[in-house]
Amino acid sequence: MKKVLVLVLLVIVGYFLTDTFNLIPFGENRIGNPQDEQTVAGYYLNNTVEKTSVANTVTAIVVNYRGFDTLGEVTVLFLATTGLGSILFRRKEDEEEIERINKPSSSLMQTGSRVLFPLIALLGIYVFIHGHLTPGGGFQGGAIIATGFLLMLISYKNFKAGHTMLNWVESLAGITFVSIGLWGLLTGGTFLENVLPAGELNNLISGGVIPIIYIAVGFKVAAELTGVLDILLNIKPKK
Amino acid sequence: MVISPVHYIAVPLLAAFTIPLLSKYIHKELARIVPGIVLLYSVFVSIVLMMQVSEVGVISEKIAGWSAPWGINLMFTPFSGFLASLMSVVGFLIWLYSYNFKKIEQSQSQKYHILQMMMVTGAIGIVLTGDIFNLFVFMEITAITAYSLTSFYRERDGAEAGFKYLLIGSFASVMILLAVMILYTQLGTLNMAEIAQNAHLIPTPLRATILVLFLVGFGIEAEMFPLNGWAPDAYSQSPGPIGAAFAGIVVKAGVYALIRVIFTLFDIHGAYDFLIYGGLITMIIAETAAVAQTNLKRMLAYSSIGQMGFVLIAFGIGTKTAIIGALFLMFNHAVIKSLLFMSGSYLTYNSLNKKISALAGLGKKLPIVSLLFGLGAFAIVGLPPFSGFWSKLYVLTAAADQNMLLLIMAILAVSIIEIIYYFRVVSTLYYGKQEDEEIKVQKPSINAMVSMLILGATIIVVGVYPDIITHFLNNAADMLLDKASYIQAVLTQNIN
Repeated sequence: MKKVLVLVLLVIVGYFLTDTFNLIPFGENRIGNPQDEQTVAGYYLNNTVEKTSVANTVTAIVVNYRGFDTLGEVTVLFLATTGLGSILFRRKEDEEEIERINKPSSSLMQTGSRVLFPLIALLGIYVFIHGHLTPGGGFQGGAIIATGFLLMLISYKNFKAGHTMLNWVESLAGITFVSIGLWGLLTGGTFLENVLPAGELNNLISGGVIPIIYIAVGFKVAAELTGVLDILLNIKPKK
Repeated sequence: MVISPVHYIAVPLLAAFTIPLLSKYIHKELARIVPGIVLLYSVFVSIVLMMQVSEVGVISEKIAGWSAPWGINLMFTPFSGFLASLMSVVGFLIWLYSYNFKKIEQSQSQKYHILQMMMVTGAIGIVLTGDIFNLFVFMEITAITAYSLTSFYRERDGAEAGFKYLLIGSFASVMILLAVMILYTQLGTLNMAEIAQNAHLIPTPLRATILVLFLVGFGIEAEMFPLNGWAPDAYSQSPGPIGAAFAGIVVKAGVYALIRVIFTLFDIHGAYDFLIYGGLITMIIAETAAVAQTNLKRMLAYSSIGQMGFVLIAFGIGTKTAIIGALFLMFNHAVIKSLLFMSGSYLTYNSLNKKISALAGLGKKLPIVSLLFGLGAFAIVGLPPFSGFWSKLYVLTAAADQNMLLLIMAILAVSIIEIIYYFRVVSTLYYGKQEDEEIKVQKPSINAMVSMLILGATIIVVGVYPDIITHFLNNAADMLLDKASYIQAVLTQNIN
């Protein structure tokens, strides 16, 4: 009976939501005229290259125009890791009994992941260092690196992610982000202001503080996600 | 350095990222002390900014050097500033109370204090931001800290409460995100002032959908019936000070978001009636449920839901007196419910189980804590010499001005129910038959005592001299009703 009720409710909600979404035509240009600087999207498209010297407009929006949101999202990730750590933490005396829940994997998997891990890490680093030039950025690069760690964690039972190192990376990356923000507040007048010279478009060193922030985000996301995976994989199995 | 609203956010974030290193390499105690210093700094920022804002009207701050629709802005208005100050003060007192809280293990206190500090920061961010997506981000920060703090004791019930809250809270987040998305497809902007200016351009069916999605999403955070299934469990299973933080900080942020959407973004008339009906149902059901509770913390949780229903009613009436009343209620609820949770937490800690009947005779063993609990109970039902009286009076006066006689009757009837269950607890404390003489009483630590005494003193002082607070409330209510000047403040920022 309860399940039927839930189903009926879901159908009603679904009906009204699809009905609403049908009112928004699919694929229609909703920005309006991209040349029109009065709209937010038009302003971004017309001014980003000129004002910030960043080739990837999305990065400029994420890190500069709406950098405050990104700082918030990074914090959400940090708090998720902290919260997870507080719920799943283990006392010292239990620590000897910790066992990875996964079974030992085949030598094929182990050798393969050893070859792949440096490449994956390299790709991740490439993606976040070039975040302001090519598609991608801190979040994407960080997630790629974390998948590399996941591969190592599931193929080697005794692979340790190094908590001290993760803590350092996590904290330093976060401190870098906020400090750059405060630097902007002290010298430029507003928090997260781009105080460094913008440089030349399409150069690796361009866009002022944008690439620095995105690299910090990349390290932070990688450390954060690896930490989450490590905590989740280290659950003691039921005996 | 000039004090500006962004200090509320930037300083705690810097501290949160630094604390793990500080506590590991410099001194362990720093993990507990630094959040307190940061929250004290927030209180200081509040005082400075509240003094400034009474002169200039609105403090609007750009982030990253981009003015309003292109970038994000923070708005410190008398309304949002009042709530931000309230949250920072309550946040600091909660830190003071939980500094060496017995039930939080040493090794875990670092995480506890980071999470508690960030909960306050997230809620202040919700109140200050002028951007609807930024509001969503801060809502996430507050929600994630709230989930993990709910199940902080890592007991079976705590895990269940936390998981329930996680599911319901994530649903709320999805609803809010969906609403923001549809809003963006229609107006192409995320700035709240611009949305408020152009909201009439959205076709009616879409506008209704957005409003309903917002109401569901923020209604969950604001404990509106029937969306409050998470609240009783979360309140009763979380550590005592976190119950106070839910009542004083998290729910306030939810109510703020709800009010901001209805009053500023979509000024639709039906929405005000919806607030009255929603609030009335919430209040009646929650207060009736509170009578049936045998667990003290659950009773306080239901009472808290009922109070939030009352706040929604007051906002729904929508006149200036009513809004002053609503803000006064929010202030009282933050102060009194925090005191009740803090003192109640020590009372249940010293009883055999969490039942109300087990509190018998604690009035003699813990005289000051029991006295403070009694003070809170008298204040929240609205007895005259305490601050709770004035807020109820404001709301009832506003309802009388609008000839809402049935509403007045309902509010008074519910007040009687409140008196019944609160006085039952107080009489158990003082006149209940003691069953077990052997319980060793755990006296509250000095810092917890100071924190509770400050709250108790506030209740009495504001009760005797309500004028100290009504001045701020008056400005805040003016600001909330004056949508045009809110939009104006953002638009003039564009020119600068």
